[in-house]
Amino acid sequence: MKRTRQWIATGAFALLPLAPITALLAAPAAQAAVAPEALVGPVADYKLYVLDNLEQLVSHTRDFTAAIEAGDVEKAQALYAPTRVYYERIEPIAELFADLDASIDAREDDYEKGVEDPDFTGFHRLEYALFHDHSTDGMEKYAQGLMDDVNDLDSRVQGLTFPPETVVGGAAALMEEVAATKVSGEEDRYSRTDLWDFQGNVDGAREIFELFKPLAAQEDPDFVERVQANFDDVEETLADYRLDADDPSAGFESYDEVSDADRRALTGPVTVLAEDLSTLRGLLGLN
Amino acid sequence: MSQAASVAPPSSRALRLGMALSFLLMLIALGVFTLSLRAVHPVGDAGQVVEVTATGCEPNHLEVPAGRRTFTVINRSNRAIEWEIIDGVMVLAERENIAPGLRQPLTATLKAGDYVMTCGLLSNPRGTLHVLAGDSSAPPAALPATAFVGALAEYRVYTTLQLRKLRASAVELRDAIGAGDLDAARRAYREARRADLHLAMPIGLYSDIDQRLNAHADDFERREADPAFVGFHRLAYGLFERQDTAGLAPVAAQLLADVDTLTERLKHASIPPAQLADGTSRVLEAWLDHHRGESAIAGPDLADLVALTEGADKIVSLLAPLLERQSPATLQTLEANLSTLQRDLPAADASAPDGVAAGGLLQAASALADSLAGINQTLTLKG
Repeated sequence: MKRTRQWIATGAFALLPLAPITALLAAPAAQAAVAPEALVGPVADYKLYVLDNLEQLVSHTRDFTAAIEAGDVEKAQALYAPTRVYYERIEPIAELFADLDASIDAREDDYEKGVEDPDFTGFHRLEYALFHDHSTDGMEKYAQGLMDDVNDLDSRVQGLTFPPETVVGGAAALMEEVAATKVSGEEDRYSRTDLWDFQGNVDGAREIFELFKPLAAQEDPDFVERVQANFDDVEETLADYRLDADDPSAGFESYDEVSDADRRALTGPVTVLAEDLSTLRGLLGLN
Repeated sequence: MSQAASVAPPSSRALRLGMALSFLLMLIALGVFTLSLRAVHPVGDAGQVVEVTATGCEPNHLEVPAGRRTFTVINRSNRAIEWEIIDGVMVLAERENIAPGLRQPLTATLKAGDYVMTCGLLSNPRGTLHVLAGDSSAPPAALPATAFVGALAEYRVYTTLQLRKLRASAVELRDAIGAGDLDAARRAYREARRADLHLAMPIGLYSDIDQRLNAHADDFERREADPAFVGFHRLAYGLFERQDTAGLAPVAAQLLADVDTLTERLKHASIPPAQLADGTSRVLEAWLDHHRGESAIAGPDLADLVALTEGADKIVSLLAPLLERQSPATLQTLEANLSTLQRDLPAADASAPDGVAAGGLLQAASALADSLAGINQTLTLKG
């Protein structure tokens, strides 16, 4: 987490010399502020995106937990990362439910007794069993619990009126998440499938950005261009680690394979994206 | 010797003076530094200070008045932490990744009530936050321009999902009629009609489509025999009165085409916030206009009112947070009127609901329509 802060600081300093120049060049011809009604469509479309991903999460979790209940370690290992992706995409909304976020996605570090803590459940508890113990012994109750939690999340989100500030702020939140726990490789420490989650967070952030892009472009076209370029950089680096360039479902190489140079190369644009996207709310009049 | 003396280090007196001077300079520098720190962290703006240690929050219980409040979270543990204010199970406000030793401010707008605080590790005990009711005599602040974005967006999601259901059922209906399957056609009709009435308010914004989908036989010169009489009531007349699918194929095809036109139009429409309450009141009034003076409500008519009430329920749930802030008394009346009507109605999935005495039902529907009609004034929205 300390590292996050340093990256953000580094990113900010790197931009510092550019700031006066940008300000001069941009000299924005005071645009009319974004009309609140213009936000309705994108917020609604975002909820539809989240509902689609939840539907996928429910059906993938069903297969994943069924494999565990059947004692099929290999199949469960293969389904772990492709299932989590849907949760990682919609994290800004999923995280709103504190109880479920803890039972679905907490890591062992969140508990005093770590892996041994009886409250440690969800994806990462199962990850530990599948990739550290290579076993599904005693995992039925965690599998069942995960399925119940995911179904619960689905029905709660359906009934939720999405707070517009959370939706717009979600893009930055996702990139901060990447900076904090993905680049460091601590999210999926046993499965080493961090790049799947990484891509999921980027997908989720990009979706939000794309939905609000036309409005943001009215206010600050340079901002939009910069964010787009940084997204492209991140995705390009990620693409180098795809197992099959033409088939996204094939997934990624182990995070152990990611070179130090590429980890550093990812840090820059990720940090700047987190910084830039954190201004989106203000840009759209939602502060 | 004298030469040596000239390059000798400065006298001990000069040295002492120099040391004193540099010490003084350091003190000044320290003073300036301290002052600058104060300028960055004015004590008054820190609000409530919460220290998170390895084992929980200190203090573990906070009490603040309602309104916009600032908290300063200081991480006294040796790992990065997050701090959240939770209402029930919902996260209301949070700061993530607070590094050890650092402090982070958090500002949240809080309503009176009891909340919990997460304090570092999930296994740590949670703190409690009690928010005291503010000065209730003060008039509520006007709603900001963005206050309706959430409600309107959620309504847009609702209409989109209902339109998908409507279209899927309209396809089934057309196919069942084409196959001459009366039972399947009736089932599909009920499903389609239910979605149609959930959408009664937005459909009402387009008089041409509303007429083609929802006009009654009474609206036409030759009533049931009039060739212009199409839509749901025409289909109900065939499926439930004449109990026959014959001759309904073109009506079902037209219905599907109209649903597609409606979908296309709503894709580009923005529903004005004032329509949420006013439009819903209007569709309830329209239903009442057709049933005043009846002694019992049964069959498709009753199913229609069930579906309209479901649509009204959605609207009430969307407006509730705004009303709660502006006028809790108005919200209470509205919710009471809604639940009175819901109590008198049969469950939505009852396929052939028995008739219900009209008196109480008409009165309850009318009371709900009236209270919806008054809401925009409370929210200072003009139609």
